[in-house]
Amino acid sequence: MKKNKTMIVVFLTPAVLLFLGIFLYPILKTILMSFFKIEGVTDAMNLWSFVGLENYAKLLNTSLFRTAFFNLFRIWFFGGLIVMSLSLLFAAILTSGIRGKKFFRAIIYMPNIVSAVALATMWLQYVYSPRFGLLKNFFSALHLEGLAKTQWLDNEHKFMALLLAYCFGMVGYHMLIWLSGIERISPEYYEAATIDGANKLAQFRYMTLPLLKGVFKTNITMWSVSSVGFFVWSQLFSNVTADTQTITPYVYMYMQIFGGGNTVTERNSGLGAAIGVLLSLCVVLIFTICNKAIKDDDLEF
Amino acid sequence: MAKTKEKETHRSFNLKQELKLAPGYIIILLWVIFTIVLLGWVFCASFSTTAEIFQGKALKFETGLHFENYAKAWNGSGVAGFFGNSLLYSVVSCVALILVCSPAAYVLSRFDFIANKFIQTSFVSAMGVPAIMVVLPLFSIISGMGILNNIPLAKGTLILLYVGINVPYTTIFLLTFFSNISKTYEEAAAIDGCPPMKTFWKIMFPMAQSGIVTVTIFNFINIWNEYFLSLIFASSDKLKPVAPGLYGMINSMKYTGDWAGMFAAVIIVFLPTFILYIFLSEKIIGGVTGGIKG
Repeated sequence: MKKNKTMIVVFLTPAVLLFLGIFLYPILKTILMSFFKIEGVTDAMNLWSFVGLENYAKLLNTSLFRTAFFNLFRIWFFGGLIVMSLSLLFAAILTSGIRGKKFFRAIIYMPNIVSAVALATMWLQYVYSPRFGLLKNFFSALHLEGLAKTQWLDNEHKFMALLLAYCFGMVGYHMLIWLSGIERISPEYYEAATIDGANKLAQFRYMTLPLLKGVFKTNITMWSVSSVGFFVWSQLFSNVTADTQTITPYVYMYMQIFGGGNTVTERNSGLGAAIGVLLSLCVVLIFTICNKAIKDDDLEF
Repeated sequence: MAKTKEKETHRSFNLKQELKLAPGYIIILLWVIFTIVLLGWVFCASFSTTAEIFQGKALKFETGLHFENYAKAWNGSGVAGFFGNSLLYSVVSCVALILVCSPAAYVLSRFDFIANKFIQTSFVSAMGVPAIMVVLPLFSIISGMGILNNIPLAKGTLILLYVGINVPYTTIFLLTFFSNISKTYEEAAAIDGCPPMKTFWKIMFPMAQSGIVTVTIFNFINIWNEYFLSLIFASSDKLKPVAPGLYGMINSMKYTGDWAGMFAAVIIVFLPTFILYIFLSEKIIGGVTGGIKG
């Protein structure tokens, strides 16, 4: 088609301007900020004092931040294991030919469209409630008094409770990604395998799984991007401002810069910026490892 | 392929075959029943009273249905205000996003120019950037200008933020959509003497309607549920959308002990996207994997 310069410029300008203003400029400035000590977020640049990598060193030496980072890792790793296996299992079951596939799929995805605050409140105030909670009633009905009396939200169980509730909400989304991958595999492969005498399980293990390598990469990337920003669940599950069981880097940053409380030792927006840079590096690292480890172009289907 | 799938779901009942699938049915049913119990109980509890909830009789409605929980949450706890804000932010941002992103997506999908690939790559990368990377400088500018004290101006700024944050996703989603529309339409329009920009708005834009609707649903849900940015930028109650508003209410209701009212508030926040989902679940589910390259 003939080039049309005015049209290109007119049509692209608003989107590109917004991108420059809301993404590019803030990102570059955040990277810059991470090398400075900045007392107030709104301070002009001439009030910043250059400290080099000191912000990063300080973060890594702060035990609360290390805890926050460790919690995020636990959520990413264990949550990832739970969500990836459950979502793959559900996708496999839904494509095995059961009835009511569309209905089940719709219900399983549903928590993803609900406000996380509302969903977390349902878990906190209902499922885990020690007085009228679902778990308490369920275990009482089974006469498992020990489990029925468990305080799911005490320090010992809180992290697990948080993780389960979060995973419950995430399974549907990743299941849809698996499903789209499975449904792209030609049914002829399965027909051929059935004729050759491979049962459903063998078909899944030796055909579906290898063909889903690329989809697995997509799933891991999306999971990592969403878990890096772990914030709202953590905030809802903490009773105190700096709850070591649930704190994540986002919560730590929010506390340092926007929240008050006695946990703030020093006001320094540079630290907040450094947290952002560290998290972005993690995303880039995971993405690179995934791309190196899983090459999806060696299989065409 | 879609047709064979339809046939499969309407196949005749075969006990032997269904039994083979039984473990699958059991696992899926357990999960689905749990989901329905979770939502159903909270929904019922929102019509009950706090005393009944604590006695474990939330589902019995011995004292009738308590609609006043909703009235209390709506008026007394300020849900009405948060709800209005969320509606304003979501609707205006969604319209603005389409006006900004569909022309951009169209140009990126149709024309070859130097920056094209670069812009696309930047937008795709931006979808993976954690929000924490952009909030500090933006807060510094916005708060430094004193905008957050002027309510109408602050609302406008929030909308600008919601739009900006969703530009990459919306553009990339629509780009894939425009790429799949045949070029013959524009060629025919060009032969008839229709200028290209007019061709876009008169012919291409209406043809992309189904993609535009899908991406708008996603934008609406995302903006309605947005929490992190809203918490930081909408500090005053007059600015808060539902998500941080609900968080504040939950904290205060834990002290006043009004559990029924709290569940009512949860349902009010939950309903708009849920109703959207009931009517459009097929479209939403079909669009989830549309924005990402699988």
